[in-house]
Amino acid sequence: MIKNNDIISPYQISMIVIMTMIGASAFHFVHDAVARSGNDGWIVVGIYGLLNIVAAWLLISLNVRFPGKTFPEYIQEIIGVIPGKIVTIIFIAYIAIITAYEVREFTEVAKMFLLPRTPTEIIMLTLILTCVYVVRGGVECVGRIVEITFPLVFIPFFLILLAGITNLELTNIFPLFRDMPNKFINMAPDIPHAFFGIEYLLFYIGFMGKPQKAYKPVTLGLLFVTGFYVLITFIGITAFGADAVPKYIWPLLSYIRDINIPGLFLERLDGVALAIWVITVFTTIITGYFIISYSFSKVIGTKEHKQYVLPMVTVIFYLALQPDGLAQLYDWGNIMFKYVSGVFMYLLPILLLIITVIGKRGGSRNEKA
Amino acid sequence: MGLFTRRKLAEEKKDESQKIKSSKSLSENIGLVKKYLKDCDDIVYKEFRVGLEQKLEFTLVYTDGMIDRDFIVDSVLGELMIHAREVPPDPPQLKDKLFELVRYGAIPSVEIKEIDNLDDAVLAILTGDVILFMDGIEKLLVIGAKGWPTRGVSEPSTESVIKGPRDGFTETYRFNTALVRRRIRDPKLKLKQMQIGRRSCTDIGIMYIEDIAMESLVEEVQRRLKTIDIDAILESGYIEELIEDNSFSLFPQVKFTERPDKVAAALLEGRVVIMVDNTPFAIIVPVTVTSFFQAAEDYYIRWLPATILRLLRYIAGVVTLIAPATYIAVTAYHPGILPSELVLSIAAAREGVPFPAVIEALIMEITFELLREAGVRLPVLIGGVVGIVGGLVIGQAAVEAGIVSPIMVIIVAVTAIASFSIPDYAFSNAFRLFRFLLIFSAGFLGLYGMILMILLILGHMAKLKSFGVPYLSPFVSFVSSDMKDTVPRLPLFLMRKRPLQTVRDKIRLVNNRHLINQLEADAEASNKRRDNSDKK
Repeated sequence: MIKNNDIISPYQISMIVIMTMIGASAFHFVHDAVARSGNDGWIVVGIYGLLNIVAAWLLISLNVRFPGKTFPEYIQEIIGVIPGKIVTIIFIAYIAIITAYEVREFTEVAKMFLLPRTPTEIIMLTLILTCVYVVRGGVECVGRIVEITFPLVFIPFFLILLAGITNLELTNIFPLFRDMPNKFINMAPDIPHAFFGIEYLLFYIGFMGKPQKAYKPVTLGLLFVTGFYVLITFIGITAFGADAVPKYIWPLLSYIRDINIPGLFLERLDGVALAIWVITVFTTIITGYFIISYSFSKVIGTKEHKQYVLPMVTVIFYLALQPDGLAQLYDWGNIMFKYVSGVFMYLLPILLLIITVIGKRGGSRNEKA
Repeated sequence: MGLFTRRKLAEEKKDESQKIKSSKSLSENIGLVKKYLKDCDDIVYKEFRVGLEQKLEFTLVYTDGMIDRDFIVDSVLGELMIHAREVPPDPPQLKDKLFELVRYGAIPSVEIKEIDNLDDAVLAILTGDVILFMDGIEKLLVIGAKGWPTRGVSEPSTESVIKGPRDGFTETYRFNTALVRRRIRDPKLKLKQMQIGRRSCTDIGIMYIEDIAMESLVEEVQRRLKTIDIDAILESGYIEELIEDNSFSLFPQVKFTERPDKVAAALLEGRVVIMVDNTPFAIIVPVTVTSFFQAAEDYYIRWLPATILRLLRYIAGVVTLIAPATYIAVTAYHPGILPSELVLSIAAAREGVPFPAVIEALIMEITFELLREAGVRLPVLIGGVVGIVGGLVIGQAAVEAGIVSPIMVIIVAVTAIASFSIPDYAFSNAFRLFRFLLIFSAGFLGLYGMILMILLILGHMAKLKSFGVPYLSPFVSFVSSDMKDTVPRLPLFLMRKRPLQTVRDKIRLVNNRHLINQLEADAEASNKRRDNSDKK
């Protein structure tokens, strides 16, 4: 029979991009964007989004040189076996921290809006264990679940956003284009936080049959993500005004909470929105989780990754428990995303690409084969 | 060595020499057969003599009740005993060519073949064929005269339609294959037969259309069927369990049907159908989640109502899965979601109910499942009583006694009705069980728990494959042309390609709708011409 295990389609790649990038942080992102760039936040985000597409292209062009290989495999070809393994382990640690951060952030949001009396640990454990089940299914299962959950999340979510359209005050976006350079510079450190997830492509494109086909879906995926961020930032600004948005921790949720349509069956939509949002957090976690267990198995040198999935729960659970509360979580997250993420998202791939091009690795090897 | 072991060995080694050869002596042959079939009192040995001089000794062996007696009396015994005497004796020819005479000239049967070993003979006897033993001749004749009591072709009771063919499969394998063959008169429609079950020797047929179904799929089905080594196959469910991909999943990974039109449609979509003797249920593989929401009728009525009905079915699927769980999650954890008036009325209805919402839901759901289970196996006459007990005693009395709230009763009723709208029985069973899991998770963690459980179910479905085809396709491994026959059922002329991904001959229809307008225009033009010529 057609045993196409370990292959994901181009369509699934764009879904992985979307569902990874848009996660728990989207609620908080509006706060950051408006706090840094004021009423022009949505424009700045849009332009940074387009820049990220270029970054993603560079990343893909690295992958194209090693068709059918994922990051932990080809990095050993580029910089040698032992250094490659060390870099991979650092990468794993970074993704583990990000995943733990996502788990904790969502747990805090869920605790605030959905389950005020349930212990944090229970919410976290149930979320992680659900992810474990899917991750054990391998990359195909990850690809499929991401694909099937995409419409389940975004169709209702856009409907909910649409329901509050009467609360928007379009004049809030004015005055446009004041002091743009400063706004760009202010926003820059927050960009890795919003667009983290392109580094995941280093791993996932290796599962595509032909990496050259990744350009289009990744671009489409990133356009969707950029559009989504522009939309929610725009909604935040027009709903509350640029001055008020930073006062909310999760402006988007507050906006949804304020939606009140007479005659609608549901009165407060934030619960529903959050319930749906569980899914995107879930997908963000599984894409990271899969990379952790898969790369770990590659570093150790085993074929299967399944057996490492369950033990990894302890690591992620432990990491997610470290912050004392929301404030500390966001402090640490800021440090993490401002100073560390950029290295993995932009610096490392570009460095590797330069080494590959100068050292003429990858491509020549491929020709021989 | 026993009969079964020998047969198995012969099959494995493809070595006919393992089987016991028949000998020239009639008495020896019959003696051996009688030894095999000792204490089988339904086996009949009919001895008779043939020829003017009554010198040729023949014996017919068959199983009583499994053959067509009239046919044997008219066409075999009548021909050999009576008509053979009318022919003037021609001894030299008779002696040399007795077998050929009987084989080709004497018995007017459409189904006749020769064998030369007793193992096959015994099997043929037990299958319902008649064996003719002739003294002095090594070869045996198998005369097909199957005629056991059968049920006529009737409307399938599990998949009835308002519009559409009313014939359904029966317990007789041969009728079933004929019903399918009648619908597809294509030489490419193949039927590969095999026998499975050491003791039952059940006929199994693999049907597929050669240039549509993927070769690898057909091979995989055959490979899986060949691995089966069991004493008996009593129903196609046995086959399902032995060849399905994941035995521990709640979801069915094959589809059963009693309808020949469904089988024909599946064949034309590149699927493989497994027919099993003694059951009206054929197996269709591979299946995806969408096939369980499709009813045969969807394709026999116009596409717009069909799409709406199908949409309704999908909604019913969602309702039956999450309705009680949502009620629990909302009332117990997030009453703020609902408008305050609704919260108040729910609270008023629940006043005096001593249980938490989870227990309330469990009581009612389990009661309902009990009623349903009781109703399924009861004779029709008592069945009505179950309705009364369920409706009046449990429903109304439970509400009046204050054990459950009326809203809960409504939810359970809606859930029940919704679960009946899923066309496939096996699939709706899966949903019934998942409903309970969702009730527990909603009771434990509210909406959050519910969503996690739904993700778990989705994750499970994402893992599942049915004969190499992802269970969730075409929603996953997205092919846009396959979406035309999923939630919507688009007009036939738009479904130009066969829906399954694993087919070779992709095009099923050439859209010639524009020709209709063309023809009308042509007709008009020719009419005009005729009018003109008439005038002249």
